[in-house]
Amino acid sequence: MERTANIDLAAWRPRQRAANPELSLRVFAGILIACACLSAFLASWLPLQLSVLTVFLFAGPHNWFELRYFLMRLPVRFGKSRNFFLTAFVGIGFLTIAYVALPVLYSFSLWPATAWPNILASWNTLLLLWLAILVWLRGKQKLKRDWSWAIPVALALCSLNWLAPEFFSLAIVYLHPLVALWFLDRHLGRTRPEWLRAYRRCLCLVPLLLAGMVWQLTRTPALADDNGLFWRITQHAGAQLLPNISSHVLVAVHVFLEMLHYAVWLIALPLIAYPRITEEAHLGVRPARTRRSAPTKRASGQFWDVKTVPLARHPRGFPKLVATALAFSAFLVAILWFGFSVDYTTTRDVYFTVAIAHVLAEAPFLLRML
Amino acid sequence: MKKFFSLGILCLLPAMAITSYADIARPKPSPSPQQPRIVLHTSLTIVPDNKAYEARLQISQSSLQELRAALSNTPGNESMAQRIAHSSTRTMLAGLFMFLSLSFAGVWLARSVQTRGQKAIAALLMGAAVIGAATIIARANAGPPGSWLWRKLPQNLSKGAPTNGGIDIEIVPDSNDGSGMKLIIPQRPE
Repeated sequence: MERTANIDLAAWRPRQRAANPELSLRVFAGILIACACLSAFLASWLPLQLSVLTVFLFAGPHNWFELRYFLMRLPVRFGKSRNFFLTAFVGIGFLTIAYVALPVLYSFSLWPATAWPNILASWNTLLLLWLAILVWLRGKQKLKRDWSWAIPVALALCSLNWLAPEFFSLAIVYLHPLVALWFLDRHLGRTRPEWLRAYRRCLCLVPLLLAGMVWQLTRTPALADDNGLFWRITQHAGAQLLPNISSHVLVAVHVFLEMLHYAVWLIALPLIAYPRITEEAHLGVRPARTRRSAPTKRASGQFWDVKTVPLARHPRGFPKLVATALAFSAFLVAILWFGFSVDYTTTRDVYFTVAIAHVLAEAPFLLRML
Repeated sequence: MKKFFSLGILCLLPAMAITSYADIARPKPSPSPQQPRIVLHTSLTIVPDNKAYEARLQISQSSLQELRAALSNTPGNESMAQRIAHSSTRTMLAGLFMFLSLSFAGVWLARSVQTRGQKAIAALLMGAAVIGAATIIARANAGPPGSWLWRKLPQNLSKGAPTNGGIDIEIVPDSNDGSGMKLIIPQRPE
């Protein structure tokens, strides 16, 4: 049972390496550096326009790839992780519904404006306590580690949150894109540990680029947010909460981080994510095709193939459910593009409200990788 | 008997009319006097000036912004300290969570560490948590009453020295005597 539950973990451990890993590593590092530098340059140059364009193009597809990645990481049977996943899914559902309900309740004017920071702080507190419970549950699965420090840390963060709930929410906006970099780090650690050192060196570039952007843009005038869309973008980046910082800096930094986030989910992880399908022969998993005819090509080019998802490939898996989930998500991506084309501003608002679900979903799956 | 009964009814009818004021329009409820509303707490310094010809009221830019925000019931551009100071609920909850955090950290440290020095740190954390809780309960951070700061105003005025103290800005209904603003200074017998 335990072997079945952890089948997906084994699937990520490499059995074979590329013929010339040094060259691939150079290419990978080169792509990382080029993406980071290009993102920083474009975000500094045309922050508002790039924000509109990147959200239009990449928001939906990156969510689709994220969902697929999470399905890849989901065990066929929860086994000893039952409580962890139960807590994770209940938390994701409840917090998402509560978050989506907030703007609806706001429109009904049920509470005075002064009460909303308290409501926001309450939601943030629930989020932090949920995260603390997840870390604690995950720590219970680790014999050699005690992760109960998460409880006092979460409570201290709750305290800070109640002092300034709006700033806490803004911190989530800026920190969430960085979680993707953490995912990539953990994934490299499992699949290509020899790349990890180079990757972490490349990561040092991010604070340097951020410092350079802030230094270059700090004296620039505020962006002209004279229309509803641009105003929303500057507000999302925290222009109202941080009036002493140029909105140009805020939007540029946020767009830069968002672009890194999209690049990780859309380029980096799909490129390196999937091991050779032939590896499944070592894992006791029935291959999608007969073993003799098992392909040796990388599955990275077959992201549309449901059988590359262990949850669908496993004999006791759920291929139809996985296929339906992926097909429905693809349909939602198409709907999102249609919505952006018809009414970009409203669709953007709706997207960033509903997208809290993927922000929340990242937490348990990242914890499973730690 | 029938005549007597009819007479009795006729006498009773005006009596009921007197009791119920049936022929008088119901008096309009007099508008309840509007209660003063405290919109802002700030500080005030009274400075005697023997060179001035007219009394002046000087308001700092930030106080004016706060006053505007308070009048319009919007948060305005408050600083972090002002936000915290203006929300006692949030401050209390922040204190409660900090207390819980220190308590849990102390327990966690005490359970997970073995050396004497680390146990001392754990004890310190627990102590800080207990003191924090005691502070919340005892309201030890509350300042002296406003009258205490104004107690030397008469002497200071006679000496020409300034006096500083807290002040609540209240919005009151227009008065009949035509006075625009009124400054009420608390005075307690020594």
